[in-house]
Amino acid sequence: MIWRRLAPFVVGILVAVVAYDLALMATPRLLMAAAFDRISAGGVNRFTFTPLATDTSRAIVRPSPDLAYSSCPFDLAGGPLLVEVPPVPASYWSLSVFDAETNVAFVRNNVEAAGAPIRAAVALDGQAVPTGYARVRVEDPRGVALVRILVEDRAAFPAIDAARRQARCRAG
Amino acid sequence: MKPWLRYTLAVALGLVAGLGGAAYTVRSGALGSGQSIGPWRTGADFGTAEASARTRAVVAMAGLLALPAREARYYTAVTDDAGAALDGRCRYRVTGGNLPARWWSLTLYDAAGYLVPNDADRFSVPGAALAPGERSSWTIRVAPDRQTGHWLPTGGIDAFALTLRAYLPPDGGKGTPPRAALPSIVKEGCA
Repeated sequence: MIWRRLAPFVVGILVAVVAYDLALMATPRLLMAAAFDRISAGGVNRFTFTPLATDTSRAIVRPSPDLAYSSCPFDLAGGPLLVEVPPVPASYWSLSVFDAETNVAFVRNNVEAAGAPIRAAVALDGQAVPTGYARVRVEDPRGVALVRILVEDRAAFPAIDAARRQARCRAG
Repeated sequence: MKPWLRYTLAVALGLVAGLGGAAYTVRSGALGSGQSIGPWRTGADFGTAEASARTRAVVAMAGLLALPAREARYYTAVTDDAGAALDGRCRYRVTGGNLPARWWSLTLYDAAGYLVPNDADRFSVPGAALAPGERSSWTIRVAPDRQTGHWLPTGGIDAFALTLRAYLPPDGGKGTPPRAALPSIVKEGCA
């Protein structure tokens, strides 16, 4: 008799716990998908060179106004993504690759690159990548490759902006 | 009440409680709620599969595309040293010294995580803005009205957050800096 009365409460609590956990686990993928849609307004498998962040910037939360972002939302359905980032006149720059779950699949900066271009091939299992590229394995076809460039003085941004546009991001 | 109705009601309430709790957790979680160092909160597992579901969800909401700790540490404050919420109508003195990073910047955000409009169009103070002679002991004034020296405008908004980005930490992002290594935030007064 007592169990009959308590059972619905127990079921309710179990449902709440499971729903809470599932919602937390699903959040990164859902937010990444929404960000992908916003970022990909400039195209997929190509770089969009975003102006320095201001109070009107809304593509990503917590943008750094000290960094010039170049984003390449990618879709590997047609093959791997080849990214090449040549050096730019800045004391810090990096390439990072985020998967559909917001995990960082790859990050390399100019210090590690030691003045050389950074070349990365983002690929699913079974997709061949050309030689000369660091292989970046992801499990989902969609994600974002992101170049960050430190802009210590906004007056230097035009020169950095011109240089960063030499970066390439394309389906292989 | 019929048994099937009791169970249906229990499942419905469980869903509401679970999903509502998750939404509250994600929306109320600060970027880096894993460790507290004075007023600063940080985490060392951003962007990694090892992070907990809660951390991953909060970072996705409050700092999507954050880098892992070996590349950058993010320290976020929503209170001053005394534990009072940061108020954009007040003046604060942020003081610090050499920070454990190759380069750093201090940025001010609104509660939603966006940059705050202000007459000076100034949204951050990078470490590079400091003269070499003051990098070991510096002061940044965070206030709604223009200040002498290094000034970070609040725009006069009700509540704001400060995020300190510390890129390429010398320890590879593995350690937790002592309190003395991070800036202090002291309220000087309110309008």
